[in-house]
Amino acid sequence: MSLDTLYTAETPEGIALSLRPAGLVPRVLAYGVDLGVRIGIYLAVTMLALPFGGMGKALLLVTYFLLEWFYPVLFELTRSGATPGKRMFGLQVVMDSGLPVTPAAAITRNLLRAADFFPFLYGFGVVSMLLRRDFKRLGDLAAGTLVVYRDSVALHGELPPAPAAAPARALAPREQAAIVAWAGRASRLTPARLDELAVLARSVTPNPQGDATRELLGVAQWLVGRRGGTP
Amino acid sequence: MTPLQFETRNAPLWQELETALDRAEGKKPDKEARDKYTHKGKPPPLDGARLAELYRRSCEHLALAQARAYPIHLTQRLESLTQRAHRLIYRRHDYGLARLKHLVLVDFPQSVRSHRWYLLAATLLFAVPLLAVGWATWRDPGFILHLADAQQAQEYDRMYDESARALGARDASTDWQMFGFYVMHNIGIGFQCFAGGLFAGIGSVFFLLFNGAQIGGVAGYLAARGHGENFYSFVVTHGAFELTAIVLSGAAGLRLGHALLVPGRRTRLDALKHAAGDAIVVVYGVIGMLVAAAAIEAFWSSARWVMPQVKYGVGAACWALVIAYLGWQGRPLRGGDVSNAG
Repeated sequence: MSLDTLYTAETPEGIALSLRPAGLVPRVLAYGVDLGVRIGIYLAVTMLALPFGGMGKALLLVTYFLLEWFYPVLFELTRSGATPGKRMFGLQVVMDSGLPVTPAAAITRNLLRAADFFPFLYGFGVVSMLLRRDFKRLGDLAAGTLVVYRDSVALHGELPPAPAAAPARALAPREQAAIVAWAGRASRLTPARLDELAVLARSVTPNPQGDATRELLGVAQWLVGRRGGTP
Repeated sequence: MTPLQFETRNAPLWQELETALDRAEGKKPDKEARDKYTHKGKPPPLDGARLAELYRRSCEHLALAQARAYPIHLTQRLESLTQRAHRLIYRRHDYGLARLKHLVLVDFPQSVRSHRWYLLAATLLFAVPLLAVGWATWRDPGFILHLADAQQAQEYDRMYDESARALGARDASTDWQMFGFYVMHNIGIGFQCFAGGLFAGIGSVFFLLFNGAQIGGVAGYLAARGHGENFYSFVVTHGAFELTAIVLSGAAGLRLGHALLVPGRRTRLDALKHAAGDAIVVVYGVIGMLVAAAAIEAFWSSARWVMPQVKYGVGAACWALVIAYLGWQGRPLRGGDVSNAG
């Protein structure tokens, strides 16, 4: 069982897209921000509506109704697919096919909020999110939607420059991939850790006496297709 | 082909796709791209066919990059490009007024008819307690105390009393206020009836029974206390929309519950998703009907200057209208061309 919670959706072209579902904490925080925004809007409408008597009260009640049920629907149907709170935390609502959320799904997931809220403070919603790998609440389950991170984190960068050198022996595809992936993480790992890992691959570097990191980076450069001398 | 060759050869294509996506998503072009266009005036319009082609190519490249275990930063770049293009290309466009018209004229009544057994069950769940409790309170007004406390019962008396004219004394601004209240309160009840279906239908059953008993209790009590005419002439018109809508949303909720309990040949989750997709069309209609009901309740039902007989007449017409709409609207033309009827 893999540790990460990547969710793969297949496109009609046969490509598997990975989505990164957002867990409980960012979603609760986003909900908190949205609650603040809603209260803000409500207070603003109150200020405006108060002088208008019964008509103003009607406006206030209708505003309350719309904020309670349709505030998320409206924002999820915009191009960003997220309420202000979700946008703030880099989240987005998508269909579980990876497509933008449809109006039917947005309405379904937000009307079923009432079921998630039961018995109090989103009890069922929280339990459902904690039990599932894709962190869907009940409304998401029924609507077929998913709350994901909008941007993916770049853990791997360009390979750092090093004089290319052919490996000492033929490498299997998996070994090649491992070495290139190691080199891609060079900017994120400490030099000591990078070296520690490089020493494990001593057997593939052409010169067993040289600096392990530098040697292996050279092999990685060779593997991605650079040939000869300094890049 | 080495990753470097692959990247050098295809980078212009990815760059083109990226620029096209940026434009389609409404991002401002970066300075470099802007400078390129300054001497040509406006940038050329987005070419959909070209975009689709670029998308297919990038899908191809992504598959190759994954299969050949190319460096991860390369795969990731392709993946995010593909994902963005996928979202753009498969986005649905057919929303708007035409879609809404089709929903009102065809989809909603058709969807109601396709849920007819759920509708029957919901109607029974609502009407049986309504009639039973109504009869019980009519026989013995004290029965209302099982459902409401004495203070509330007095409140009902006061509201529909001939002499107090509690309803007749309302002015226009109070009408508006009540409209707001009805929208918030009644549509909330409708949504609860629907959402309750997610708990194997128990929630919907509960809300239907509860609301049925509550409404029956009030109706029976007021009839027994001699405020019958005031009450019935008040509720008859908007009841056509409101009671129907509550039963409909209960039926939509029962559909969800049934899908969970008896998923058939799908998994439970899949059955639920499928059922929710069908049932939500009913809920769209419910929203519309409840807004109509709130408007009627606030501005017409409460108008004391209208004779009760007129209200009964209009009410009967509304009931007939609602039933005819749900029963017959949106059927394909008999013997007609299917393509015309749809």
